[in-house]
Amino acid sequence: MKIVMETKGLTKAYNEQVIALNDVNVALEKGEFVTLLGRSGSGKSTLLNILGGLDCPSSGDVVINEKRVDFDDRDALISLRREALGFIFQNFNLIPTLTARENVEYPLLFNFRGKTVREERALGLLDLVGLARRADHYPRELSGGEQQRVAIARALVGNPAIVLADEPTGNLDSKTSDGIFELLRTVNRERQTTFLIVTHERELGRRADRSIELLDGRVVTA
Amino acid sequence: MKMEKFIEYLKISARQVARKRMRVLLTALGIAIGVAAVVGTVSLGEGIRFQAVEAIKDQSDLTLIEATADIRGGTIQLITPAKIDEITAIPHILASTAVIREAYATKRQTYLSVMGIDPTGIGDVIKPKYLKGDLIEPGTRQAVLGHDLAETLQRYEGVRLGDTIPIMIREYDEDGMPVDEEVDFTLVGVLQERDDQFDQLMLIDRGVAQELRGGESSFDGVLIRADNPDNVFAVVDGIKDLGLTATGSFEQIESVNQLMDVVVLLLAFFAGVALIVGALMIMNTMITSVFERTREIGITMAIGASPGDVVQLILYECLFIGLIGGVLGDLLGIAFAGAINVFGKPFIIAQLGDTFATFSEADITLITPEVLVLGIVISIVLSQLSGFYPALKAARLNPVTAIRTGV
Repeated sequence: MKIVMETKGLTKAYNEQVIALNDVNVALEKGEFVTLLGRSGSGKSTLLNILGGLDCPSSGDVVINEKRVDFDDRDALISLRREALGFIFQNFNLIPTLTARENVEYPLLFNFRGKTVREERALGLLDLVGLARRADHYPRELSGGEQQRVAIARALVGNPAIVLADEPTGNLDSKTSDGIFELLRTVNRERQTTFLIVTHERELGRRADRSIELLDGRVVTA
Repeated sequence: MKMEKFIEYLKISARQVARKRMRVLLTALGIAIGVAAVVGTVSLGEGIRFQAVEAIKDQSDLTLIEATADIRGGTIQLITPAKIDEITAIPHILASTAVIREAYATKRQTYLSVMGIDPTGIGDVIKPKYLKGDLIEPGTRQAVLGHDLAETLQRYEGVRLGDTIPIMIREYDEDGMPVDEEVDFTLVGVLQERDDQFDQLMLIDRGVAQELRGGESSFDGVLIRADNPDNVFAVVDGIKDLGLTATGSFEQIESVNQLMDVVVLLLAFFAGVALIVGALMIMNTMITSVFERTREIGITMAIGASPGDVVQLILYECLFIGLIGGVLGDLLGIAFAGAINVFGKPFIIAQLGDTFATFSEADITLITPEVLVLGIVISIVLSQLSGFYPALKAARLNPVTAIRTGV
């Protein structure tokens, strides 16, 4: 299978004592559904941030879609976030002043997409996550699970190759959490989008294609 | 596409502004008070300027202009027949006539300022009204005196209508020695009081004046009657474009304008200090707003907004505050100007006395569209200036820390 994302000797050290990532080498194939496990402080958030172009490594490379990521080129990082990546956060993080549909459209606004394209994609994705009828509701009118569904639609709106999710079910009860996880798997199967999901729940790891586990900044199982 | 993006950004920013209505209103009020102070004081200055100009228009013969020879860029622009043709071609001139300026003295040493005129062409230009007597006959040594000059000559030299005015015209012989020649003029008319230069002038026939000068055929100036007070400055500009000097009552308006420019500028400057307070309020509000939305801004950047996008979004919010402030400021300024009219006018009239009695019937403040536009422009410009630092602060947020630690 084609590799869409790869790290080579990725290291992140804040100083000589604090090493968040230590020679991390992982590769994600197209359409893979991978969980990133580890206790808090194991470096999984740091890895996710670097992969998302939000943080830069001390050494080593990240290759996305066969292109080495240049962490010094701010514009390239911005277009990477716009075109290749989708983000899902633990706290949903929808913009409170925008409706569900507008939240989903929001990333496309920065990406210079016309109104019709934006609306079509947003409504299509809201339908996919089962919230077509809630399109014009504001985040405060939605439950936590619904907000996270909107956030998933927002992550997918740019047709990214890879979606990075940071504890997407961390703030939800177990039943809702199950539903969200199933939704992510469905999206993954139907759209062949690669998912890297940070979680500390081993149970979820068993439902993924594969799990990567970090311990003190090193990969222990790949 | 650019335009659509701009409108979408405006919409998003508008919603952010609408989210904290009270805060936005109070902030906008801060800048509005500054704008109102500027609008109010400028309108007072403009009102006084307007009234002063109206008073000058009422009291003086504004449409009478004299074009005289001038030295421009080292060349003397004489009043030649060709020049007179050019002058007559200036638009908005009702009538014009070339004149000679002379200085004579009577036998008993009364100084006489003399204007040589063409009696047939003077009517529409000077519009003379006679207290006594009538116009001079062309080509004769007759004279018409202005009101004040007639009074002086009657008092000190006993010259009355029909009397001769003995005038000494000084010339120089080959050796440079002065030779005085006596010329007698007959007083045929006295003008009514006009409150302008003609009160002090003696009018004689232009041909006679040229002959006494030694047969020169050039002129010293052209008297011009503009068709309308509103066109006076257009005519003046036309004269100046020909390289000539223009004089007349309009100069009073020019000096009033120059004075009021300075007064208005100073007033506006001091009133404008309030604007600085308003600008600081906007800055404070926006810094708070950026701080409160740290996480939201971080998310926006994580999902693809560039720092430039963030700067734009914040600046558009300031744009709305500035716009609200400008409109509120204009409204307050109009109210302020109204208050000056009602409460300040009696005081000002009492202070200035009868000279400005015309004020009592008119508004002493004048709100022009320009002032209102200026108010809004100032407000918007200040909002953008004061929003720049908060916007930059927002754009410099690190998305990772913003999302993790943001409120």
